[in-house]
Amino acid sequence: MIRSIFGLILVLVLGAIMVAVVPDIEYSEEIHGVGLHYTSQGMQETGSANLVTAVIVAYRGLDTLGEVVVLFCASTSVVLILSLYPLSLKVSRPSFIVAQTSRLLPAPILLLGLYLIAHSHLSPGGGFPGGAVIASAFLLVMLGGTGVPGSSRNLAAVESLAGLSFGLLGFWGVMKLGQFLNNLVLGTGTPGSLVSAGLIPLISLVIGIKVASELSSVFAAFRYKGGH
Amino acid sequence: MSDALFPVVAITMGIMMLAAGIVALYVRRLLSAIIIVAFVSLSASVLFLLMDATDVAVTEAAVGAVVSTMIFLWGRGKIGGDR
Repeated sequence: MIRSIFGLILVLVLGAIMVAVVPDIEYSEEIHGVGLHYTSQGMQETGSANLVTAVIVAYRGLDTLGEVVVLFCASTSVVLILSLYPLSLKVSRPSFIVAQTSRLLPAPILLLGLYLIAHSHLSPGGGFPGGAVIASAFLLVMLGGTGVPGSSRNLAAVESLAGLSFGLLGFWGVMKLGQFLNNLVLGTGTPGSLVSAGLIPLISLVIGIKVASELSSVFAAFRYKGGH
Repeated sequence: MSDALFPVVAITMGIMMLAAGIVALYVRRLLSAIIIVAFVSLSASVLFLLMDATDVAVTEAAVGAVVSTMIFLWGRGKIGGDR
């Protein structure tokens, strides 16, 4: 009872703060500061037609590298914990609908994921969503069968290789232009064509492979039964 | 989406998401709660799409609606169904 009242008071106080603060936030119609630079110069500087990807991969490439490291730590700990203490869920036979869907849909889903990664500098998408879509195709294949995934050593190798390539692509910029993860080591090309935007497509590919293999190994770890 | 219609659709979807969130808290079956949370995720993705944040919409649909729902379902399997 006391806890509920305390919670209610907390919610009311937070609500009062929100009501007091929100009307004072000013949203200016014009873009200024670094946002203005991105929107006016971004396409010439990076050659990427998709400015969101330009900011994520080119201007803020180092932040993305940090994000990839965080995701690596998270998935590694999940896989480690689940291999020590397996969930050992009962794997029932998939129903007719699930079994047939898992035969039909993975190929189009994989294609969508590859498209999202390959066209990250042209249309909405990118390494993270593309990798997640590819991993969901893997998930569907796994749900359609009764088998239990074995060793995910190959997945771990692919993941490590992708992470290493990200770093090496960054050092390419150091060797050539004296700046880590410089996007311009390859030349921008014409914005809007498939081969353009310098390093962005390569980094998207690497991120996509890494995210796909990480999420797949997490999914496999949830099905893992323990023992060898 | 026309400019006049956008606030109506956005506010309707926001109210629907709020209602679904409250229902997910009080619904008896855990499975229903998980599916309702997935619905909230998917609605958020549609809202992002309406606000022209297509990159975010794609990520929300892939991660919020598929991956997290699946992990919730496995967690439900571990604690032994609906209790």
